[in-house]
Amino acid sequence: MKRDWNRSRTAVVSGFVLLAMAVTFAPAPAAAQMGAAPAAEVAVEPAAIAALEQMGAYLRTLKAYQVEAATSREEVLESGLKAQFANVTTILVRMPDRLFAETVGDRQQRQYYYNGKEFTLYARRLTYYATVAAPATVKELATTVDDKYGIEIPLVDLFLWGADGASSAGITAAVDLGASAIDGVTCTHYAFRQEGLDWQIWIQKGDFPLPKRLVLTTTTDEARPQFTANYTWNLAPSFNDEAFTFDPPADAKRIVFEEAAAASK
Amino acid sequence: MNIRTLKVAFALLVAFLLAGAPALEAGNKNVRSSSKSSVGNKNVNRNNNSNRNTNINSNKNVNVNSNRNNNVNINRDRDIDIDVDVDHRGGCCYNNHHHGVGVVGAVAAVAVTAAVVGSIVNTLPPSCSVVMVNGFTYQQCGSVWYQPQFVGTTTSYVVVTAPR
Repeated sequence: MKRDWNRSRTAVVSGFVLLAMAVTFAPAPAAAQMGAAPAAEVAVEPAAIAALEQMGAYLRTLKAYQVEAATSREEVLESGLKAQFANVTTILVRMPDRLFAETVGDRQQRQYYYNGKEFTLYARRLTYYATVAAPATVKELATTVDDKYGIEIPLVDLFLWGADGASSAGITAAVDLGASAIDGVTCTHYAFRQEGLDWQIWIQKGDFPLPKRLVLTTTTDEARPQFTANYTWNLAPSFNDEAFTFDPPADAKRIVFEEAAAASK
Repeated sequence: MNIRTLKVAFALLVAFLLAGAPALEAGNKNVRSSSKSSVGNKNVNRNNNSNRNTNINSNKNVNVNSNRNNNVNINRDRDIDIDVDVDHRGGCCYNNHHHGVGVVGAVAAVAVTAAVVGSIVNTLPPSCSVVMVNGFTYQQCGSVWYQPQFVGTTTSYVVVTAPR
């Protein structure tokens, strides 16, 4: 290679930078020269991303559905011990503006009501509830209550996948792991990585690409706590409009939400 | 070293075992992180163990001879993940145990800070009565008023001035 040493000083400096970089990466030159990704990197398989987007698009065609999910989530104690907690979560959705959700576990039992106008959170055993004005769609509701009150609507991914603004741009690894049966249903098993999270999803094969199982591994803590959800779908739920409006029982006591902006951060 | 010194040392050891050791154990049950429960969760790891210390020192020199010192110490301790429904009768050892330990150290602290407006507790003291004011619920426990609130999906009680 012929170099022009009469170039400006800037060029000489950048030449040194390049030289320094070459020395730095000297131990692993083969991969770089062959254009292959370094060993630590995992591929983003376009087909896996496409499957995720296809599932999202299909979810967005559903007008009403009910999902029951058996979930488990882990907490990491200061000692590093992990504790696992099980919940049963049910959601009933009528797009775009009706939602009922219930979570039942040892530690908490909560009901979520949204009728397009108001949102209510009800603690059944404590008989406390709080009601606030709500935005016009389930999707906006999910964002609003999370931002304002630190409340995550149960199984929130189900109405965010494939929605406007959803993007797979943050996914740094996407792998097809092949066929896998969940509750007797043949699925395709995928693994993804994004910042702070490795996750797996099992998507039903065929014309109805529903998520059947989701496993999230939080990677920001070395103990890597996991969340698991197994979904049972009902695409023809029967319900009436009253299901989405909270009707306070006689012993129900109204309380307030603390606004998250003041609570943490 | 005489007998008396030994007695003092022994007393100190007992005091440590009673007060110090359970407190350490209780500390180990604090949650340092929990699994995310959604892929799209932008809230990467909201720290629920937040300690807020507000020291308000106000010195008012009314005149040359009077010096007033008001020290208000507000400790907000939120172990949100430790919170459990108060009426829970399932007998989950995990939480009950938590409340049972560290008693020696904790009781004194609670007694001092409980009545400070703005302080937050996860459970109410005994013998409270529900009072509704303007449609919202308050718990009156003796002379102290608590307002129940949802912080996220968990409940806690913030000490407020008497609402009426």
